This record gives sequence, structure tokens and C-alpha cells, in this order.
Amino acid sequence: MKKLYSNKWQILIFLLPALILFCGVLIAPIGASAYYSFFDWNGFGEKTFIEFSNYRELFTSNAIGFMKALRNSLLLAALSVGLQLPLALALALALGKGIKGERGFLSIYFMPVLISTVVIGQLWLKIYNPDYGILNVFLRKVGLESWTRIWLGTKKTALGSVFVPTLWQYVGYHMLLLYAGVKSVPPELREAAMLDGATDGQVNRYIVLPYIKPIIKISVIFAVTGSLKSFDLIYVLTNGGPLHSTEVPSTLMINMLFLRNRYGMGSTIAVMLIVLCFGFALLINAIFREED
Amino acid sequence: MKKLIALVLALVMVLGLAACGGSKPAEETKPAETKPAETKPAETTPAEPAAPEQTVLKLWCIATESDSNRPAYLKAIEEYEKAHPDVKIEMEAFENESYKTKIKAAMMGGDADDLPDIFFTWSGAFLGDFVDAGKVFCLDDYYKPYGDQIPEVMLANTTYGGKHFGVPTTFNIVAMFANMDMLAEVGWDHVPETYEDLTACCDALVAAGKIPFGCAGKETWCVTEYLEPIIIKTIGYEALGKIFAGEATWNDPDIANAVTTFQDMINKGYFDPSGMALGNDEVKANFLAGKTAFYQNGSWNTGEINDASFKPAVALFPVMNAARSTYNQTIGGPSDSLAVCASSKNVELAAEVAVWLGKEICHYNYLNAVGLPAWIPDYDTSSLKPLLVDIADLVASCEGMVLFGDTAMSADPAQVYLSYVSQVYGCEIDGDGFVAGLTNDLG
Repeated sequence: MKKLYSNKWQILIFLLPALILFCGVLIAPIGASAYYSFFDWNGFGEKTFIEFSNYRELFTSNAIGFMKALRNSLLLAALSVGLQLPLALALALALGKGIKGERGFLSIYFMPVLISTVVIGQLWLKIYNPDYGILNVFLRKVGLESWTRIWLGTKKTALGSVFVPTLWQYVGYHMLLLYAGVKSVPPELREAAMLDGATDGQVNRYIVLPYIKPIIKISVIFAVTGSLKSFDLIYVLTNGGPLHSTEVPSTLMINMLFLRNRYGMGSTIAVMLIVLCFGFALLINAIFREED
Repeated sequence: MKKLIALVLALVMVLGLAACGGSKPAEETKPAETKPAETKPAETTPAEPAAPEQTVLKLWCIATESDSNRPAYLKAIEEYEKAHPDVKIEMEAFENESYKTKIKAAMMGGDADDLPDIFFTWSGAFLGDFVDAGKVFCLDDYYKPYGDQIPEVMLANTTYGGKHFGVPTTFNIVAMFANMDMLAEVGWDHVPETYEDLTACCDALVAAGKIPFGCAGKETWCVTEYLEPIIIKTIGYEALGKIFAGEATWNDPDIANAVTTFQDMINKGYFDPSGMALGNDEVKANFLAGKTAFYQNGSWNTGEINDASFKPAVALFPVMNAARSTYNQTIGGPSDSLAVCASSKNVELAAEVAVWLGKEICHYNYLNAVGLPAWIPDYDTSSLKPLLVDIADLVASCEGMVLFGDTAMSADPAQVYLSYVSQVYGCEIDGDGFVAGLTNDLG
């Protein structure tokens, strides 16, 4: 075995199939997108090399609205970290203690992750329907008629209305990650703290949370990068409307690629998404390292 | 290093969406060459009994279960397959908006196996982009057996560089459908034909707690079905046609006036406020259920509206500026078409089938009141639905017509235009803002 490890060529040969697959399926499309981002191209006609014009236009053109879309995504990321993760953590801590019906609650909270996003989108479309949607019907029934809105049809409420199901859908996902972490805390640590007179809150604060910090970091990275590339539910609910108020970079990218036939600009947005996700992941890593 | 690799692995997935579009370089943009017709036209080809092997042709279209064109597609395909047992046509239908993405992504990929042999397309710039890229097969030789069964004017929107690349399956205009039962409740026994009458009628409806119009804000093309008729009735078809063709500027004060008229109607409560959050199917359902009194949309809805539970009627939007326009002008033309992929392995057969299917789909669409005939009818038309006959009369007296704006313009300017249209509907910009914005962005 030692001989095998010392032969670099043999290692390379064994790694080569996976490396080719990795490069062909994942790295090459990134390279291709970066390449196309320097062209003015409709996807099937002649390409014109335009250097960094797409990047300049992306950040300066109001007609494209990338900055607004990015702002929406960052807002979703902030809400995700500020609301979704604390809720997921609270559920994970509560379930991790070993309450009655733990498995059942775990399945129920995780269920939205298993349901197709399109189905969830259709469900919330019905909930928000201004005429027969359960939300407006409920408000009318309890005498709050003045609170009823065209939730997905007005600029003021559309973004918030889209964020609610987006955040709700993945609470269970983060809860499961964190729950696994909570369950991995050695029982003797808990017991020792309890013997010293620590309350449940103190055990969570001083034992569990520091122990699952690496998982919290992963959850934060997933929440932020997931928010930056959020697409499916927004596409189903509003497709970026009304009046581009719920536009996020991914819906903008689809718009550029397939509706406006601007393959070069669509590729530019894709590259920017990669850069942003990568940048935020590094930033979050750095923040957690600093705390350590 | 491990962390870095893990991050790279996680983050490269972001590009999945863009990468799906295909990463192949563009093929040489050479227009598809016309091949002489070696096979006989479909109608004259004798059916071969029990052919051992079937040639399978893939057809992509938007005739989904809920689409009014579907019966015509199914009937035409059934008839062709019956007459030609050696040919199997596999139809795949996609929802309208997702189809635009689907066909473009397939064309971008350029792989023959991913492309259909025959595909549905809108005429004008939508098909024009594919033709320019050499992705579409020229049908000139395959029209020859049909002689003068289709007027040249009906092929104008699918003709590029003097060559025919599409087969119209119908011909449609934007019409104003009315629920006469609702109008009767507020004292109207006919569809208003002047703007003064229309506003009086709408005021009466609003006063009676009824909603005059429904318009789907979620699908901006539906908003253009309201705005474009108002513009054409303000500046005339010649001026609007030149603007859509890029031969004239948007900088026309009368266009701002037309937008103001539209927004006045919105601000007076003539439009269902829920419309902004609804799609076209929901808005149409509201009209058919008697929730709104009018529905301005394409004549492809005629069959459904004719069979509604109320008494229907149809008219064109009234004239706004008699100095520049007349009542007998409207938005419309032959747009829905079939085309053949140049990369098809059975391109000649596909071309022959496409022309035959186009003609027959047009035939059944007309009889089903889904549209007007682009092809000259050579069949019994005595049983046409009354509402369709009314529309045919409107078209017969038409002085001028302009193709739908988002079809007439190429993809990028069309989306810019639609963006401004949605801002108008949301009252984010006024008429001057609309004109200034489009003049600045599109000229």
C-alpha cells in the first residue's frame, strides 16, 4: 500500500475519471459562462466580443435592474439568517432534548422540504388569491377587511409575500441539520452541566451551541448562498413581478437568457452569482474563524 | 484547502441554470438551403398499407389540455396518420410561457436529438431570430402544390429575405368581447362603439357595483391587448406599424395621450384591481363566470366565449383620435405558425407534413371558432359559430392591421417594451414617461 501511495502516476490514474467528470460537468460550464459573458450574443447567431461591456451595463443600467434584484436577494439572505435560522435552531434544540413525539414533529417540520416547490408555489398562490384566498377570507371573517390586500399583485406587499413561503419552506431543512448537531452532543457533557446546576437554557447556551458551531456555520452558508440563488418559488409565485419588485438575480438571468435572447448578459449574471456566493461563503468562514 | 474544494463544489452548482442553456459555440449562421421537393405533396401521396417501419416526427407546440387549439392539432394529426400509416407524429405540448424558454434553449443547444422536427412558433421576430441563425428549413418548394390556397399576404409575417419559413395555423385579431347580459342590467343593448359611450357604459357598471374589464397583470402580453388597441386608435395603423418595425420613433405625443386614456380607465375603477396578481386563464375565467363585463383579448377565445352561459357580443375598441385613425383598424394578423428545424433528420418529410398540418389545423381552428382562416376555406363553413362570423365581418371591413407588438419586435426590444407596458398598467409611469423611456431605450 505504501508503494502505491508513493507512486504519483498511479494516484493520478485512479483519480482521473472523477477529475474528468468533475471538470466536464462542473468546471467547464463555469468557464463557458465566463467566456460568453464577454460577448454580445443571442444564443444562436453571430457572437461579438465586447470585453467588459456586459459587466459595466449590469451595474449601471436601470433597465436591467440587477442592483435591485441583488438587493432583494440580500434582504432575503438577511431574513433567512435573522428569522429562519433562529427558528430552525429553536426547533432543533426543543426536539433535541428528546421530547415526546420527537420523530413525528421532525417529520412534520421537514415535510415542506420534501414537497415539490411548484406544488408549494401553487398552494401559496391559492392562499394569497385576493378573492378566495384563505388569508383574505380569514381577515374578512375576523373583521379586518381593511387589512386585505392583493398580496402578490402590489409592489408594497409582493416581496414580503414571496419571502414568507420561501423562508417557511426551508426551516425544516436547517432544523434537520442543526438537530443532527444537537443530537451529536455527548450526553455526559449535558449531564455534567446539569449536575453542576445548569438550567436548560444554560446548557444550550454554554454546551450545545458552542459544540454545534461548525454546523451553524454550514447552515448560515447554505442560507445565504441559497438566498442569493433563490429562483423556483419566486418564479412560480410572481416571476419577478409585479413591476420587477420581486426580481432576484436568477429570475433576471432567465429573463436575459430566454426572453431577451441576451445570452452574454445572462452568462454575466451567472458569473456574478458565482462570485457573490463564493465571496459570501469565504466571508462567513472568516467571521466564524475570527470568533473561534 | 479541503474547505476551499468543498466550497467550490457547493458553489459551482449555481451555474447549473445557465449551463443548461448549452455551452456549444454557435453554428455557422448559414440560412438553411432550400431543397427541391422530392416527395409528393401529402394530399396526393397514396397511403401505403401496413408499412413495416414508421418514420417518427416530433412536433412541439403549445396546444396543452387547456389550449383551445388542441382539438384542431389532434384532429389534423389523426387524419394525417390515418392517410400515412408509415408516419407517426409525436406531439408534445408545453405551456405558452415555458415554451418560449424551451424552444430557445433547444435551439441554443443546437443538438438535433434535442430538437423537434416540426415546431410551433410565433411569426415576426420570434421566428426571424431562428431563421437568421440558420436553424429553420425553407418551405418554398413545399408550398408549390398548394397553389393559391393561401394568399401571399398571410405568409408575409413568416417570410424572410423573400423565402417562406413558416406555415400559419390561424389568423387572429384583438377584439373586445362583451357580456350582453351584464350590459343589459345597466341599460345597454349593444356594445359601445364610441369612447364616450364606452365610458358612459363603464361608469354605469361601476355605479352598479360591477367590474367592466379584467386584465392579467401577471402576463404582460395581456396588458398589450388593451394598450395597443388604444394606441392604434389614437395614432393609426401606419404609424404604429412603423414604430414596431423600428422605422419610426416612439416620440409621438399622441402615444402619451393614449397611455393617459388607458390609465384614466384604470384610475376610474374600470379594471378589476385583482387583475395585477392574476394570469390570463384566471381573468378569462372571471369573464366567463360573469364577474367582468368586457374582456379584450385575441380572437382565439371566440369559441369559448361563444359557448358561455351569457349572451356574448364582440366589437373593436373605439376610435380615440379620428384625425389619425378609424374604427376599422386593429391589432392582429397571422402569427401562430409551424416551422421545420433545419437539423431534422427527415427534413423533407417534416416540411411536407408541416405545410399539410398547418392547413388542416387552420381548417379545424376555424370550424371550432378558435381563429380566422389564414388559408382559403375549401370546406363547408355554414355551421360557423355566430360570434366568429361577427369577428369575420369586423376583419372583412378592416382597413389596416398591425401585428402584436411583442411578436413584431425582436426579443430584446420586445422585453424592454413589455417592461414599460407593465409599468403603465401599474401606474408607475405616465404617458410622457412611457414615451420618453421607449424613445431613450429603443429610439
